[in-house]
Amino acid sequence: MKADVGPTPPPSPEKGVPPARQSQKEATRQRVITAARELFDTHGYEGTTIREIARHAGVAVGSVFTTFASKGEILSEVMAARLDPLYAEIDRVMPHVRGSTADRLRTMFAVHFEFEARHVRLFLSHIAAAYDWTLAPGARPYGRNQRLQQIIRETLLRGQAEGDVRHDIDLQEVIDLLCSAYAWTYRLVITNDTDAKGMIAVMDRQIGLIADGFAPRD
Amino acid sequence: MNNKRRMKHISPNSVAADAPARAPTRRALAKQQTRLKVLAAARRLFSEQGYEGATIRDIASAAGMSTGAVFANFTDKSDLFREIMVDDIEALIASMREAAERGRNVEDGLLKMFMAGYTFYKTRLQLARAAFSVSWDKDGGPTLRGLPNNLIMQDLFTETLANAVTRGELSQEAEVKLRSQMLFDTYLSNFPQAIFEGWSLDALQARSRDQIRILLAGARRG
Repeated sequence: MKADVGPTPPPSPEKGVPPARQSQKEATRQRVITAARELFDTHGYEGTTIREIARHAGVAVGSVFTTFASKGEILSEVMAARLDPLYAEIDRVMPHVRGSTADRLRTMFAVHFEFEARHVRLFLSHIAAAYDWTLAPGARPYGRNQRLQQIIRETLLRGQAEGDVRHDIDLQEVIDLLCSAYAWTYRLVITNDTDAKGMIAVMDRQIGLIADGFAPRD
Repeated sequence: MNNKRRMKHISPNSVAADAPARAPTRRALAKQQTRLKVLAAARRLFSEQGYEGATIRDIASAAGMSTGAVFANFTDKSDLFREIMVDDIEALIASMREAAERGRNVEDGLLKMFMAGYTFYKTRLQLARAAFSVSWDKDGGPTLRGLPNNLIMQDLFTETLANAVTRGELSQEAEVKLRSQMLFDTYLSNFPQAIFEGWSLDALQARSRDQIRILLAGARRG
């Protein structure tokens, strides 16, 4: 497991920039991130503009653009700031989670749903951002975030070592199936206003079905 | 409708739209032509600029008419987008159904259905991208996802599995509903690879085949 996990560190000080201005820039950054988190969570991805984020944060539109290249990048920072501590915790806990590989995956995803359901519109924004027309290279919408994939990979490798995951299966394909099942389960929020408990129940069954596919053949 | 203002923007082809009411069929024909022109322009702009990026004003000017003329035919932008989606999905359902019938077995049938979709959208990936963007929106999503045609497409996956159970190819406890929903989600989840990473149809086919095998494995064991 990685030792360097934890909240996103502030950007390293730039050369030649006076410390006072550096800390002012960091303060702006934090205000923008907080304001953006609230707006994305209320109005969704398309419904939020950089202008509104600036107004809500009480900073000039220009100073948002000196810190972030795009709306997508702001959302990526919002998600990273939220998810880094979660993944750090999951990294610490996963080696101690017992049961079959399927059960360990169920526990891991249940933690995700419980966490995201509290700000579910923010997570929907995160998924929607993947299709943004103006997506900048700095943005990391859902699907391009390697962290979740790494946790699943480690869980499957442990399953191979313990004998309930086939050795001749392409792990990346199983990872992609699980990640897309996870993301698509959130559509239930859009269509049925399903809560965390409901999504966890659906995901548990989907994991069981995928687990049938990676179980060793008898 | 302000006739004077409309005349200024109207293209020569659709002048008949303003002809006196005693030629109802020609008038209806012209109205239909106007609709088609708006739809074609909208399709192009949604593909180029995304759903949010394309405005009714831009669509009207691309179609060579006033925004009023657009609103005379469509209630709003979402109505226009929905109409385009309905047309496309209807055509896609026909080719998916035909694909399912050509399948040698359940796995092959599903794979052909996936490929019918990827082939259909190969030339309109940017429109698919706009549709995905709308589908994840809490406001626009429910309408798009709830389109009767979308539900028919999902049912096609369910029917394919149910037929395989009837034929004895899959076990009675195949959890047809959950499994077909997952297959449909998986079909959709491969679109980003095509849209953003330029995957070829061959690459999509290889990936889909593996995914279908994994998702069917439990139902075969019986």
